[in-house]
Amino acid sequence: MQTPKVKKRERDTIIQALRAGVVPKLGLQHIQVGRAREIGELIRDIERIGEGGAAIRFVIGEYGSGKTFFLNLIRLIALEKGMVVLSADMAPDRRLHATGGQARSLYAEMARNASTRTKPEGGAMASIVERFASQAVRAAEIGDLAPSEMIREKLAHLEDLTGGYDVATVITRYWEGFEAGNEELKSAALRWLRAEYSTRTDARKALGVRTIIDDANVYDQLKLLALFVRESGYKGLVVSLDELVNLYKLTSSQARNANYEQILRILNDVLQGSASHLGFMLGGTPEFLMDTRRGLYSYEALQSRLAENTFARGGLVDLSGPVIRLANLTPEDMFVLLTNIRRVMQGENAALSDDALTAFMTHCSDRIGDAYFRTPRNTVTAFVNMLSVLEQNPDVDWRRLLGSVEVAEDSGDDMSDIPDDGANDELASFKL
Amino acid sequence: MMGRTMNSRPLSSEQSRGFERLAEPVRRWIWDKGWNTLRDIQECAIPVLLDEDGDVIIAAATAGGKTEAAFLPLISLVLEHPGEGGFDLVYVGPLRALINDQFRRLEDLCDRAKLPVYPWHGDISQGVKARARKDPRGVLLITPESLEALFVLRGLEIPALFMSVRAVVIDELHALLDNERGVHLRSLLTRLELAVGHRVRRIGLSATLGEMTLAREYLRPEDPEAVVLLESKSEGQELKVQIRGYLRQGDLSRSDKGDEDETAARREVASHLFSRLRGSRNLIFAGSRQNVEWYADALREMSEKARLPVEFFPHHASLSREHRIDLEKRLKTHSATTAVCTSTLELGIDIGDIACVAQVGAPFSVGSLRQRLGRSGRRVGQPAVLRMYAVETASGTASHPLDRLHLGLIRSIAMVELLIEGWCEPPAMQSLHLSTLTHQILSVIAEHGGMSAKRLYKTLCEFGPFRRVGSQLFARLLRQLGRSDVALLEQAPDGILLLGHQGERLVEHYSFYAVFRSPEEYRLIADHKPLGTLPVIMILAPGMTIIFSGRRWRITDIHDKERVIEVTADRVGRPPLFGGDGGLIHDRVVEKMKEVLLGVDLPAYIDETAARLLEDARSEFRRLDVVRRPICKLGERSYLLATWVGTVKTSTLALVLRAMGYTAETYDGFLDVNYKEGVQPIEAALNGVVRSTPVAATSVLSGKENFMTEKFHPYLNLDLLLEDATSSRIDLNSLHEVARRLLESSK
Repeated sequence: MQTPKVKKRERDTIIQALRAGVVPKLGLQHIQVGRAREIGELIRDIERIGEGGAAIRFVIGEYGSGKTFFLNLIRLIALEKGMVVLSADMAPDRRLHATGGQARSLYAEMARNASTRTKPEGGAMASIVERFASQAVRAAEIGDLAPSEMIREKLAHLEDLTGGYDVATVITRYWEGFEAGNEELKSAALRWLRAEYSTRTDARKALGVRTIIDDANVYDQLKLLALFVRESGYKGLVVSLDELVNLYKLTSSQARNANYEQILRILNDVLQGSASHLGFMLGGTPEFLMDTRRGLYSYEALQSRLAENTFARGGLVDLSGPVIRLANLTPEDMFVLLTNIRRVMQGENAALSDDALTAFMTHCSDRIGDAYFRTPRNTVTAFVNMLSVLEQNPDVDWRRLLGSVEVAEDSGDDMSDIPDDGANDELASFKL
Repeated sequence: MMGRTMNSRPLSSEQSRGFERLAEPVRRWIWDKGWNTLRDIQECAIPVLLDEDGDVIIAAATAGGKTEAAFLPLISLVLEHPGEGGFDLVYVGPLRALINDQFRRLEDLCDRAKLPVYPWHGDISQGVKARARKDPRGVLLITPESLEALFVLRGLEIPALFMSVRAVVIDELHALLDNERGVHLRSLLTRLELAVGHRVRRIGLSATLGEMTLAREYLRPEDPEAVVLLESKSEGQELKVQIRGYLRQGDLSRSDKGDEDETAARREVASHLFSRLRGSRNLIFAGSRQNVEWYADALREMSEKARLPVEFFPHHASLSREHRIDLEKRLKTHSATTAVCTSTLELGIDIGDIACVAQVGAPFSVGSLRQRLGRSGRRVGQPAVLRMYAVETASGTASHPLDRLHLGLIRSIAMVELLIEGWCEPPAMQSLHLSTLTHQILSVIAEHGGMSAKRLYKTLCEFGPFRRVGSQLFARLLRQLGRSDVALLEQAPDGILLLGHQGERLVEHYSFYAVFRSPEEYRLIADHKPLGTLPVIMILAPGMTIIFSGRRWRITDIHDKERVIEVTADRVGRPPLFGGDGGLIHDRVVEKMKEVLLGVDLPAYIDETAARLLEDARSEFRRLDVVRRPICKLGERSYLLATWVGTVKTSTLALVLRAMGYTAETYDGFLDVNYKEGVQPIEAALNGVVRSTPVAATSVLSGKENFMTEKFHPYLNLDLLLEDATSSRIDLNSLHEVARRLLESSK
């Protein structure tokens, strides 16, 4: 890849995000290393979606191996290609299927994070609808029709699908609000589209529709949205879901199976070609996929569909199946990654020598072994922190800092309400 | 320094100061009620609850106005500083009926205050619960089991539901001190505090106990001294007790006659019960299922013979659910109903307003007696009535000295004395509660969807009530639960512990939420023929003997998982007919029994037969002179040891002696020891115990004993069961002291 100039805004975003151990939403291309084939494969997926196809990919990798980074990179690429991207992290209270509002809450989260090329950081639902309206007005002028008639015509496609009638009604309401300058009606319609109505009564009062987006129809609504964004002039819809390990962790086997059933439905639609302009990227850990008691493989129909090519091992890869395994980074990749970060932070004429990078890697390797390049999140955080200190204290030598750099192994644990301090090594590394 | 204690004084006639401090809607409610004064306990509670934010215990007699003492100021507090969503007050009550009762009492008051009150337990409709979840404000009235269900099913909503809870009010605190349910609730309270991220004030409502330190410790184990105790000594409830004695002819030359003698004595008891209890609502606690069936049948027969409607019905765990529910309903609706029951009706099932509680045979613990008695006299001005029936063996020339001491009757008297003193068994602080811990491990994992071992340990054993469990033991427990044949837990590759498939199955069923269960009875089988069932809590081992239907049986084998005890008829020697009934008796009770035997007064509450039996027992006691000579030689190779300690310590010594080749049976602070030729004299054996270094559990127990007494015991392995048993039902550390005292006073 060539080395484009790093914008100030991108630089700040990257540094802040890396220090916090999260993936930056912007400027990913400046630090990306390796995985060229995987990226190439997904770019082809996105092109296929743009041409009216569909795709589903399970991005599988260990905690901290860069799944989220990878998903975000693909998200940015999809945006560049003119897609709408919905993204969300799964959580115990955000799932594909539920009866207590958790699936609606997933949809609401996705809709809040809806992003387009002009709004890459989310919150794009309003501009999608806005764009639909203005496109309709323009098309009406060309076709010499009344705009409302044009809208009805454009929305007619939606009505063929399950639940399409109400979506069409809601968008028509938005248009009415747009015409009459009725902000309240417009925002009610947007609220509906973002699944923020939790009862039918409220929705009916505000918009005169009988249904809402709720637990039972999340996937149907996604299909409708895919069609709708096409009508608004986008190339397609990409749904990017991360942390699917949360489905694996669900306590009830019934709940897990219901969620896997939804995944199966999506998978079938995509593989059989009955979905179009729609893509799914699902990020999870290997156990989410492979565990035969509670992972995706516990669901017989999914196991047979997702079984990986048995020839693809020992360095051979087959990227045509729905499962993409993120190969671990190598120490060489790590070196490039650190170089990239150095370039983002210190510019082209970096102050820190290559020796320092090698020494840093050796130090991390001594601390946590292979994990430092296999699961790079904590290594990167430590490196960014060290560079920040060096930047603010130019007279300090990096050798003095290196000894005090702390890296921890990545456990992917995120329960903050119960403290995890105090030395209790027996339980810290507990294995059944 | 002990904490603060305030004994309330009667209120003077002038306008109450506390009243003025209450919020306006609360005062208005009091006005409308037409109260002209506040109770003194309420007067005391108002400033403490309004001005301070510490934990408080409000102790007063039944119907002493405890609930209002807590809620009048707490509701005022909520009105002055409204919360930001989530319930404002949580009330935890052990019984559904109690919650329904409190709901009726609080509904009107809270209506004035414009606060919703939500009752929440198994019988409450989903609609009410849905409303409570949608609009979580005001007061939530809930049972510990329903709170557990909330954690398991709605773990993610817990912080939002409870974030602005000002106080948790725990009713019937005295009933929760020493049992699995109490530990369970304590664990839930710490989990609640962890979930909302701050300490939540605890208000305990309790009956007055002689020793309130325990209640303090229960309420806030990490800082019991800071708990403020408000106690009202006045307005004590009236207690009516009678102990009746009955004689059974104990002819040991004819062991086959045991059944007949037993039946004759029981008939007398039954006919007295029939004459006194008919026509009102009562509970008869008759011990084992067998006895329950027998008495219920005898009472039914008597009713039929007298051409009267049957109003006596059995209730125990092996009856069908429909039958039990019918009876429970009948108890609520019909005033003339008497349930003959095992301990099934002691906990968890709701019948208020019982006229009289009858106890056939001596109870094992004062706590459980108090619990049972608590069912009667719940209304103001109504006395609590307790009838106890003691069936004793008549003394003959061939009687065993222990039978002549009539220990059953003596124990009953001792228990009543302790009950009047307000004493109650303290919680077993040494207990590991591994069964309840297992339950909570599953529950915490279900709440969070998974958790690392370290955080689990923090939650339950460092913040929670399982502080006696070290990290090593905790890791062993987790490993056991994670074994593939147990399958309660499994582990994700990142170390997070998840529920295994058995664990999921357990947690998904509603029966998971309760941690207590009525003790399951063991089936006794002699020569492949079933004899009947017997509830057993104390540790039994093959070789020991038990009494069943008037005869003595030697245990040949114990199948713990199947709950079967194999026995053969025991014909050797002339063993006592009393005892061997499997309960745990506390040290203090045995001490009290000694006091009763040493005393000269006849208690006013015993009938003539009982009085005669007591006199007999006292003279036999003087003759044996076991106070001065606790090692008493009964015959060739036969001794009676007076340990004067409770079942746990006495039977521990029995286990040690058995390992040395003696036969040793435990009878309320006595050991009946026999040995064959070639075994060292008893003094030498005891000397050995005194000199020896601490005894290891494995050297005393063979692993053939019965260990599975609690709900989750069947999932543990022998090592863990042993450890759990040595923490609660066996006390190896006491051996030294008990043996030393026996030897010293004998010199």
